[in-house]
Amino acid sequence: MKPNHIQKPPKWATWLLHCLCADHLMEEMDGDLEELFYQRVKSVGVTKARFRYVIDVFSMLRPFAFKKKKNTYPQFTYTQPAMIRNNFKIAFRNLWKHKAFTFINVMGLTVGMSACFLIALYVHFELSYDGFNKKADRIYRLATDLKTTSETLNYSISSWAFGPNLKNEFEEVEAFTRISTRNYLVRKGDLKFKEEKTVFADSSLFNVFDFELIKGDPKTALKDQMSIVFTEKTAKKYFGDADPIGQTLLLGDEGIPATVTGVMKEAPANSQIKGDLFVSMSSYTQRFNKGVDTDWGNFGTTTYLLLNPGVKTEKLAAKFPPFLEKHAGQMMRENKMAITFVMEPLLDIYLHSKREAEESGSMNNVYIFSVVAIFILLIACINFINLTTARSAERAREVGVRKAVGAARSLLRRQFIIESVLLCTIAFVFSVVLSAISIPFFNDLSGKIISTGIADNPQFVACLFLAALLIGCLAGIYPAFVLSSFDPIVVLKGRFTMSAKGNLLRKGLVTVQFAVSIALIIATIVVYKQVNFMRSRDLGFSKDQMLVINGETDKKRNVFQESLLNISGVKSTAASTRVPGSKNNEAYSEIENARGEMQSGNLEVYSVDFNFLQQFDLKIIAGRAFSKAFGSDSSKALVINEAAARMLGYQSPQEAIGRKYKQWGRQGTIIGVVKDFHFKSLQENITPLTFRFLDFWNGDLVSVKIEGNHVRQTLASIEKEWKAQNPEKPFTYYFMDEYFDRQYRADERFERLFLDFAVLAIFISCLGLLGLASYSTMQRTKEIGVRKVMGASTGSIVGLLSKDFLKLVSLAFLIASPLAWFGMRKWLQNFAYQTDIEWWVFAVAAILSGTIAFATISFQSIKAAFMNPIKSLRSE
Amino acid sequence: MKGTYLGEFEEVVLLAAAILSGDAYGAAITNEIEQQMGRSVNLGAVHAALHRLEEKGLLSSRMGGATAERGGRSKRLFTVTMAGTRALDNIRDIRNRMWDNIPKPA
Repeated sequence: MKPNHIQKPPKWATWLLHCLCADHLMEEMDGDLEELFYQRVKSVGVTKARFRYVIDVFSMLRPFAFKKKKNTYPQFTYTQPAMIRNNFKIAFRNLWKHKAFTFINVMGLTVGMSACFLIALYVHFELSYDGFNKKADRIYRLATDLKTTSETLNYSISSWAFGPNLKNEFEEVEAFTRISTRNYLVRKGDLKFKEEKTVFADSSLFNVFDFELIKGDPKTALKDQMSIVFTEKTAKKYFGDADPIGQTLLLGDEGIPATVTGVMKEAPANSQIKGDLFVSMSSYTQRFNKGVDTDWGNFGTTTYLLLNPGVKTEKLAAKFPPFLEKHAGQMMRENKMAITFVMEPLLDIYLHSKREAEESGSMNNVYIFSVVAIFILLIACINFINLTTARSAERAREVGVRKAVGAARSLLRRQFIIESVLLCTIAFVFSVVLSAISIPFFNDLSGKIISTGIADNPQFVACLFLAALLIGCLAGIYPAFVLSSFDPIVVLKGRFTMSAKGNLLRKGLVTVQFAVSIALIIATIVVYKQVNFMRSRDLGFSKDQMLVINGETDKKRNVFQESLLNISGVKSTAASTRVPGSKNNEAYSEIENARGEMQSGNLEVYSVDFNFLQQFDLKIIAGRAFSKAFGSDSSKALVINEAAARMLGYQSPQEAIGRKYKQWGRQGTIIGVVKDFHFKSLQENITPLTFRFLDFWNGDLVSVKIEGNHVRQTLASIEKEWKAQNPEKPFTYYFMDEYFDRQYRADERFERLFLDFAVLAIFISCLGLLGLASYSTMQRTKEIGVRKVMGASTGSIVGLLSKDFLKLVSLAFLIASPLAWFGMRKWLQNFAYQTDIEWWVFAVAAILSGTIAFATISFQSIKAAFMNPIKSLRSE
Repeated sequence: MKGTYLGEFEEVVLLAAAILSGDAYGAAITNEIEQQMGRSVNLGAVHAALHRLEEKGLLSSRMGGATAERGGRSKRLFTVTMAGTRALDNIRDIRNRMWDNIPKPA
């Protein structure tokens, strides 16, 4: 007989059986197998018996063997509805029992989630710019780089001839459309409006972009000369509820009749092309009497190309230089310039294009606000984690009892996570309500119609809900693990103390919260300082009490100006094509530089009358201003600014006087140099500028300096005069200082948003601090009682309780300051003229955050300090 | 309840359980069948059949005492129920009747 130890069935087969077989069948099967095995060992030998054993094991693995039979004792399962109900019931009771805790958490999370929600709307709005166009991925803006002898100009516009010719010559181009926006006078009977968003557009506009026509055929609407499509709102303005199709309007000063061929649905707020009134491009030809399709040198339109699917832009771009050479080569050589095409994907333009775009977003702001949103949410989550773990001693006994009764750890974890998810769900409901209420304010704040209401964005609400569940789980996980880990024996014996590790973590989290808040405070102050700096900086010209009338008064302008001087409040008047702060206008110019060569380039041009320089208090630092005493001034003289003199290489402004220039068909000499003044926003540097004398036909703007006291009366008189002389035109004007302030509106908005978020962050942080402070005072009730009995003063107790927290706030300040300083320095670099980040900014932030934190804590600690010690000593 | 139809193997198992009356369990039944029929039988198949028969209510089971030969494991002892006995009688009657109906060669 073989040794005993090998007379055993193969272990692996037994193991397999154990793995797969239902427990309640295990014993008999195992027994039967073993019994048969030993019988067989005797009858057929070990090897065969083992072989049969294995066969039997495999034959045992039948469906019936896997079936779990119901245990005699009901097996506990987590998914039983009764258990889930119980979880929720207990969670509700717990939340209800600790109302203050629940309130603080729900409030913090509500505010945090609402902030996140609004920012998500904003970010989505910014990122989805022009995304409503179905063919957006195939649409490119044909931008041009214009290289002159002195500089390269990055235009977002192109010349009229590019679009049609590209379409003709390249089969890759499926369609093109050109648009050109301008102010236009529109009349219908007595109604007359200066339509600021009048857009000349090719008939392919509706093919390339997805603007929806409510009435009219998109294919033909803009085909015929003098046909008009306008938005619903504009249609209502002129025609009320009547059907506008086929009606006639008078366009422009000349009053050319135009027929309405379509009514368009308002373009989405996040569309680059904003127009109230679209006029067929073919009318442009008629209006200006030009063959626009063959005009290669006139850069006056924005061209969009729709490429065929699958076209590689690099390959197409490679074909452009020969194309340009063929058509515009001669023109380029004559004007000493080189043109390069740049195709900008439509979807990238709004956030990424660095060209002089009409309206642009900032990817930086998108990042900044996303980070801020995440931080605010983080602060709210930290509150939750902190408060829950802080309360853990209180709940330790509960955990102990539950464990002793037989609750599994996983069940306890689930209980705590359900509690936190429930809390987040409640916060979600509140935050939907809060967001719905605050959307209009937010629109106002951001200056955009980001959302018209919560119902507009169901997918966002769904996302927010998922986020709430996720936050609930994440914020609940740490407390759940900590709480469920308590040893029931220790806890129930009453020897439980909070671990030092938990305390350290809590302190760390409070520090992070306050660091974020303090950084936001510093940022707010710096942004405020910068905006204020720009608003109060001496711009180098006078803008107060200056009224600018949008004239286009043509030849009658002189008469109008004369008549204004008779009004008592009017000091002086001046006419010009541009005023400081208005859109730029560049002209190709050649000016003699310090080496005596003619230097060419595009320079800013102001066409002005005799009075202009004086009217705006511009200082002449060399030569003289335009003067009636010199007859040739009106046709030959040029005044430049310091920056232009510097660009031309003159050591002193004096050197520039008497030098030759050529510009826009005029030539002559420089007669004066004007001291640099900020004619653009302070975000930009002062660039070279030229003043030439106004041609009799192009003085668009009349600026009027008025005297202090009776502004309203003066304004009324001016308007009366205007109406008397120009009955067919509306009276449009603005005050220069207001207009100038408008340039900083985007920054002011930034400031406001930052301020609001900083307040939110501080608020949520303080909520958390309040919770922690109240908890720690509660825990130290007995200590405080003893101290008071021994004769401690109220002040010393307040100090005792506040000290710990104030230390954390100080630490947070130390962490936040350098980060904020670094971040804000980067932000300031966006501006050509920047304010400094002075030390007091940090001092203010420190004092502010310290005070707020102290106020929050002392609210609790003073209460504790005033408590009757007898009461507190009895409490335990 | 499942149909009372008995498969061939089920019938054999039921019969073996009846033969072993009171001491019928997996291994014993396997042995009994092997001896009676002279063919080797899978323990798994026997268990499956026993399981089904119990579900049909033809067998009832209880856990018996542990024995040394099974490494200290107890056996599940099966008894034929009334329904089981009736089912066996039924089959036997049918078979007999059918035998009787075979026309005798003249």
